[in-house]
Amino acid sequence: MFKKVFIIICIAALSACGQLVSNAKKEFADDLSAAIIQHDEPETVKQALPAYLILIDSMVRGDDENIGLLISASRLYASYASVFVEQPERKKKLSQRAFVYAHRALCLHVGNTNVAACNLKQSSYARYEDALKKFKLEDIDVLFTLGSAWAGVVQANSSDWNAVAELPKVKATIERVLALNPDYSHGDVHGYMGVMQSLLPPAMGGKPELAKQHFENALAVSDRKNPMALLMYAEKYARLVFDRELHDTLLKELLELDPADTPSRLITVIAQTRARTLLAQADDYF
Amino acid sequence: MVKRYITRLLLSALLLTGSVSAYAVVLKIATIAPDGTAWMKQMRAGAKEIKQLTDGRVIIKYYPGGVMGNDKNVLRKMRIGQLQGGAVTSGSLSGIYPDMTLYGLPFLFSSLQQVDAVRSKMDKGILSTLEKKGYISFGLAEGGFAYLMSDKKLETVDDVRGQKVWIPSGNKVGEVVFKHADISPVPLPVADVMTGLQTGLIDTVITSPIGALALQWHTKINYVIDVPLTYTSALMVVSKKGFNKVKADDRRIVRRVMGEVFERIDAQNRKDNIEARKALINQGIEFVTLKDSDVEQWHHIGETAMQELENKRGYTQAVYDALMDELQQVQ
Repeated sequence: MFKKVFIIICIAALSACGQLVSNAKKEFADDLSAAIIQHDEPETVKQALPAYLILIDSMVRGDDENIGLLISASRLYASYASVFVEQPERKKKLSQRAFVYAHRALCLHVGNTNVAACNLKQSSYARYEDALKKFKLEDIDVLFTLGSAWAGVVQANSSDWNAVAELPKVKATIERVLALNPDYSHGDVHGYMGVMQSLLPPAMGGKPELAKQHFENALAVSDRKNPMALLMYAEKYARLVFDRELHDTLLKELLELDPADTPSRLITVIAQTRARTLLAQADDYF
Repeated sequence: MVKRYITRLLLSALLLTGSVSAYAVVLKIATIAPDGTAWMKQMRAGAKEIKQLTDGRVIIKYYPGGVMGNDKNVLRKMRIGQLQGGAVTSGSLSGIYPDMTLYGLPFLFSSLQQVDAVRSKMDKGILSTLEKKGYISFGLAEGGFAYLMSDKKLETVDDVRGQKVWIPSGNKVGEVVFKHADISPVPLPVADVMTGLQTGLIDTVITSPIGALALQWHTKINYVIDVPLTYTSALMVVSKKGFNKVKADDRRIVRRVMGEVFERIDAQNRKDNIEARKALINQGIEFVTLKDSDVEQWHHIGETAMQELENKRGYTQAVYDALMDELQQVQ
């Protein structure tokens, strides 16, 4: 009898201990992300990050059903691939890893309740669109992580028609996040929608007026302090509709932001560097 | 003394600015192709090379993404000198030179092998006549075969008659073909096709594999009738008036560089359509092979339509005959 109780206590303690370790891993990954996005020296982060990415890989390896950890790992890889990696082949590989982590997190999260969502590549567009309707507000972290990681894969593989074919599913994913909470992540969701609505000109069925509305919403949600929204509004929308005045005004507004006063110092500093390049090229473009 | 110095300074500044503007010729070229696409990247690379090779004497400025309007608007702006050029579909030049639409005749080609055999013999002559009409071009770029794509499996002409089939607004050739097939199409501008598919106003479209993916129409498609309906192509045209402002030596540079750019685009689009077809299949879309008798029925519709078009569209008889001869030899 005593033996049985002892075993039960041991198992309970072990699982509690395991839980603690799992939480600690997720916390570490979250703190790492927070430290990175608040850093104001991009080169330091660029050089330091690969070692931490491998570290996170090792943590996932030992705890591959930890949804929170998978989400953090995906976000770190996705950010690193999109912000710091120039070489196309590396970008493809690293964004794919971000997607694999996000996809795994999603499948673990939905379990058997939403197979069509987990089988996102095999499901037809109509079936996937239906599957997305099952997601609720409490699923938003995993869904946004998946949408942004998938968008990164499509962008890194834009010359691959299989990736182009998946774009509507990515858009539908982000649209679902938007429906659940339009203010999520300082207006980033509106920012993604703005970019996706700027891909086609009106003559080809695009709706730039919707893009404009999304970018304006992203700025309203963030008190005009979302640096990527300002940058993409200028680069994707203002260039698409050939509005030089708007283009230059937005980029100058971005350059005037104090990085310390934005949700991410690092992203602001990087966006400001890109803004200077776009302004310098504007005479050639317009 | 100071006054003389200032006068000299002003004079030299004026001469300098005067000489720069007289020196550089700017060719403004518009297109519906969005910026950032493979086409635009290639054309921008060409413009950069031309600027370098001419030491800045020829500057090409692009207006992508339809900011100057559709092909029709671009050609009108070229006529009034607001633009010097455009990258447009071959079909849009039908009013200037009807033979530009010959390759797009319904069911004309059954294979890319036929296309290559005909184009290698005929492109040069057709584009040289276009040049005599005042439009300089640098080679045709393949857009690929367009197919009927639909939500349902369509195996016979009769099946298609039961569908709501899209036709691009103002497409006279398409109208004649559908009339002979006894199909009542729904005319819409390209811009409204996606909304039409979403609302059920239409359920069948005609486009190439790359078109279906780039325009995201593939989300509303389950089947493709695997019989090429028409061959599409595009080209860059520059008005002779605008082009003649470029010095003769520099014109040769522009022709060579842009010729190479269009050769590359032509070849890349061939590869892209093959890859896009595979991607459509990977998305679960089925390419339906028709029975010989059904293919024959479509071809018969194409032939009767062609007879009417031949009389109406004002093709040059010699060019039309030469095309048919070439095709006969390949077959």
